Amino acid sequence: MTKVNPEFATELTKYGIGDFNACFNCGNCTATCSLSTSDSSFPREMIRYTTLGLEDEIRSSLKPWECYYCGECSRECPRKANPGELMMSLRRWLTAQYDWTGLSGLLYRSLTLTVTALLLVAAGVFLFARTVHFDAEALLHTGHRFEMLAIATVFLVIFIPNLFRMWYYTIVKNGVKAPVKRYLTTLSELFVQMFTQKRARDCDGKDNFRWLEHLVLVFAYLSLLFTTVFLNWFGTGSLFIIVLGYVESFLIFVITVHFVSGRIKRNKALNTFSQPSDWLFVIWLLLMGLTAFLVRLFIDLQILEANIWIHLIHLTVLAQWALIIVPFGKWTHFLYRSFGLYFVKIKTMQKPA
Amino acid sequence: MRQRIGVYICHCGGNISDYVDVEELSKMFHKEDGVVVSKDVMFACADSNQKAMVEDIQQYNLDAIVVASCSPKLHLHTFRAVAGRAGLNPNNYVQVNIREQCSWPHSDRPREATVKAAGLIRAGINRVVYSEALDSIEIEVKKAAMVIGAGISGMKAAIDLARAGNEVYLVEKDYFVGGHIAQQEKLFMTGQSGKEIVKRLYDEMKSYKNITVFTGATVSKVTGSLGSFNIEVKVKPRFINGKMDKQSVKRVMDDCQVTVRDRFNEGLTTRKAIYKNYPEALPDVPVVDMEALRDHPDFLEKHKAVINPNEQEETIALLAGSVLVTTGFDNYEPKEGEFGYKNIPNVITLPQLNRLMELSPEKLVYNGKEIRSVAFIYCVGSRQKKGENKYCSRQCCTSTIYTALQLKEKYGKIQNYHLYRDIRTYGKQEILYDRASKQGDLFFKYEEKELPTVEMNGNAITLKVKDYLTNKKELEITPDLVVLVTGMVARADAPHISELFKIPIGNDKFFNEIHPKLKPVETVIKGVYIGGTCQGPKNVSEAVQSSLAGASKITALLKSGTVMGDPVVARIDADVCTWCGKCAEVCDYTAIRETITKAGKHIAGVNRSVCTGCGICAPVCPVNAIEVAKYTDHEIEAMIDGFAAEVEIREEDVSAVNEGKEDFVAAHMKEYPQIWKDILDTLDTEKKTIPEMVDTLNMAPEMVTWHLMTMNKYGVVSPAGTNDKEEYYYYKIK
Repeated sequence: MTKVNPEFATELTKYGIGDFNACFNCGNCTATCSLSTSDSSFPREMIRYTTLGLEDEIRSSLKPWECYYCGECSRECPRKANPGELMMSLRRWLTAQYDWTGLSGLLYRSLTLTVTALLLVAAGVFLFARTVHFDAEALLHTGHRFEMLAIATVFLVIFIPNLFRMWYYTIVKNGVKAPVKRYLTTLSELFVQMFTQKRARDCDGKDNFRWLEHLVLVFAYLSLLFTTVFLNWFGTGSLFIIVLGYVESFLIFVITVHFVSGRIKRNKALNTFSQPSDWLFVIWLLLMGLTAFLVRLFIDLQILEANIWIHLIHLTVLAQWALIIVPFGKWTHFLYRSFGLYFVKIKTMQKPA
Repeated sequence: MRQRIGVYICHCGGNISDYVDVEELSKMFHKEDGVVVSKDVMFACADSNQKAMVEDIQQYNLDAIVVASCSPKLHLHTFRAVAGRAGLNPNNYVQVNIREQCSWPHSDRPREATVKAAGLIRAGINRVVYSEALDSIEIEVKKAAMVIGAGISGMKAAIDLARAGNEVYLVEKDYFVGGHIAQQEKLFMTGQSGKEIVKRLYDEMKSYKNITVFTGATVSKVTGSLGSFNIEVKVKPRFINGKMDKQSVKRVMDDCQVTVRDRFNEGLTTRKAIYKNYPEALPDVPVVDMEALRDHPDFLEKHKAVINPNEQEETIALLAGSVLVTTGFDNYEPKEGEFGYKNIPNVITLPQLNRLMELSPEKLVYNGKEIRSVAFIYCVGSRQKKGENKYCSRQCCTSTIYTALQLKEKYGKIQNYHLYRDIRTYGKQEILYDRASKQGDLFFKYEEKELPTVEMNGNAITLKVKDYLTNKKELEITPDLVVLVTGMVARADAPHISELFKIPIGNDKFFNEIHPKLKPVETVIKGVYIGGTCQGPKNVSEAVQSSLAGASKITALLKSGTVMGDPVVARIDADVCTWCGKCAEVCDYTAIRETITKAGKHIAGVNRSVCTGCGICAPVCPVNAIEVAKYTDHEIEAMIDGFAAEVEIREEDVSAVNEGKEDFVAAHMKEYPQIWKDILDTLDTEKKTIPEMVDTLNMAPEMVTWHLMTMNKYGVVSPAGTNDKEEYYYYKIK
């Protein structure tokens, strides 16, 4: 027995979606969606669950992760109920549900809190810089150490427990019993989806250029991470590594500028309803690429000592990125979507009882 | 006997002549006994031909005409008028339908179509020979109409009838006018108050001197027929001294402490034993509930100046030319336990909620609990596949959604749940659904086979519904109030009204019109019309539309003071009739009564203004004393003879061998049975295949096949396995 809770719809509006009460359950959205199948049909079902406030059903569903927001459903909706944006909002709500700290939810719901958190982190970076008397060497060293530490902590303290929670809601609670072997054999699905967004290519009206951009961005971002953390880009003398870093940060900058301009122009359904979390993600990624590029450039021009402010900005952006946006913001979608599709695969391999 | 007959056979621009050889037929009938003129014409209905027909009738002194053309539904009146213009009695005309009943359905077999047309026309000629010059029956009508039921339908109709100059008697069973709409605070779509509309209509009625309103009145007896219905109306007493001024009456009302269940408020409240339905109810005279006050003699004694306990029921005899029945509907009363009705507190009906809302201006409170969420269960008492009420009540979906909108508008934060089977907010009402959906109302679709259940869980109601919009998931809702959306049912006293006026009642127990499209407000009883919801579920506008249609029908009927009736009525042969009464028993219209002739003989008498000429009396008469004009035995027998007589047609043989040659082929309407006989003869001794039969009978294979298949269809022959090569079926006599 499932209890109807109309309040949930109000709660969800805090995650982005406006008025979806107009839905009269015609199912055009599901019919038009090229990813929806008869075994796993959406978005109508998710809209219905949302309207009725069936939280357990939504929490245990992986369907929001199966959607890539091509916007076809929202275009076809005869009631302008915007199913595509609803799926997006559900993804935000789900990340808040998976997050054991509850911070994701707080930041999604409150812009003030997000801005405060960003300012606090900036203040922290500034205060720290003051303790080392704005010494360039010390800052570079600490920045590098911080990066390694932050990655390890976020993974161990936030992501692993959260993924465990996600697994519990969507696999255990759904009564899926899969042998360990299957998790291992299906692992390829996880990585393929994580790095290539392969599934997005099945979207009708697919945008191959956007897909390619996204692919390049993912690789550029991950490899820049690798280059700075493990190859110590800012400290290295190797010409190859230096050039590699430049290329990576340049690519990040170019693609994110394109993404930001798209969101400003609202040229796609995906870009029509940008939430603060969307802006933060794409702008901070842009700033990351830009400041990293400039820092290395200043080092090569040997003017960093005199212009330590650029490194300070880079450090601030990095800290905000690593402490707020990555663990609690939109970055997590990257992780959860890949795991979502991985779990879907595991689930569908289970023979019906 | 008509002896100078004109026959006109129409080409209908090819519609007939492409398949039926009309030229040949017109030549053929020229030789027929009694036929003076026989012509084929391109369009019989054309003005030029009509003129030619009038000339023919006058020039050749014709005494009857036959037109073989299309259906009489199309042009019976056209050619009757032609006869009339030429000085013939219109009843000396017969129309033969050789288009819809011959050329169109038999377009694949022109030869047979021609033979059939010949038969039909000859039958028509034979009939017209016996046709009589009948005169229409003139019925005098009283320019007065009775409208029964003073709801919105009845009041609107009464006003229209009065405006057209008719005397109008409006009879209302309740003590106050207005019917159901007075119970509605707001009516969809405009949100107008029902009471306001009632007041406006009542004031308008009062401005007409020719409307008499009877309240607390019922029809008790009806005699007579179209033009002069004698109707007896019983008016119940109000027990109020009519001479007393309003102030004294008001004082007595205030003094009264005795209370009874308030029917107007659907039992939600009580009312005093001296009451008005609502303060502004009209007419503005209260009523004493004497049943309740009989036990309080002190009170009656104290106010004897105002209350007159001995006032008697009054019987009034009225004469009306026509009657409009607008008696309305009853709300479906859920059975005890139906969705928890009467067993679970806070389960009420939609009419009750509507009363509750009007009585609760600030907060919606029921049973001491403030209502914050309401669940509506639709189709209660409607669309029952297995139950009595199979119909949809039409107005309830819109009414409910409008109520849901009002709930939110009036009381602010209220969550509405709609448990529906199909939403039928048809036409312009769809925007209400849209608004409800957008205001956040939740809709759940259930099926009749899995009804929602209402249970009590501690202090809260638990509503369980298998929702077809959510993968048939069983969902649980906990509303503060459950509202059963009850449909419309025929009034409990509908059978009584039906009995009085002989209005037929349908399976749904509502009154039946003659034809839903072509005669939507007419009943089979001449002069009796139905309007509004006594005919079936309608919303307010539809109800008013139908009652106004009835009013204009009546106005047209009463306008000239007389009505011409169709002379097709039953006739009694006074010499033969012995009055056994069998005919009166079977007559649905009570048109037959025992009468005594001048010679003192008891015979059956036909009321010609009531008789519809249905003919049911004729075959039951044991001595064959009854015949129906225009359908006499002579006419029918002559038609049969004419149809079955031999037809000789000159036919052009178009086969390659005989091209260009003309040949006379004798055709016969009995031809087909002969072919069947031949086929049966060949099958008499042994089963045969079609090629074998073709050989034996020396007939065309397609003819044998066609007739054999027909015989097979009607079960005369049946297949009996295949031959050795499995090429053909054997057939045998069944």
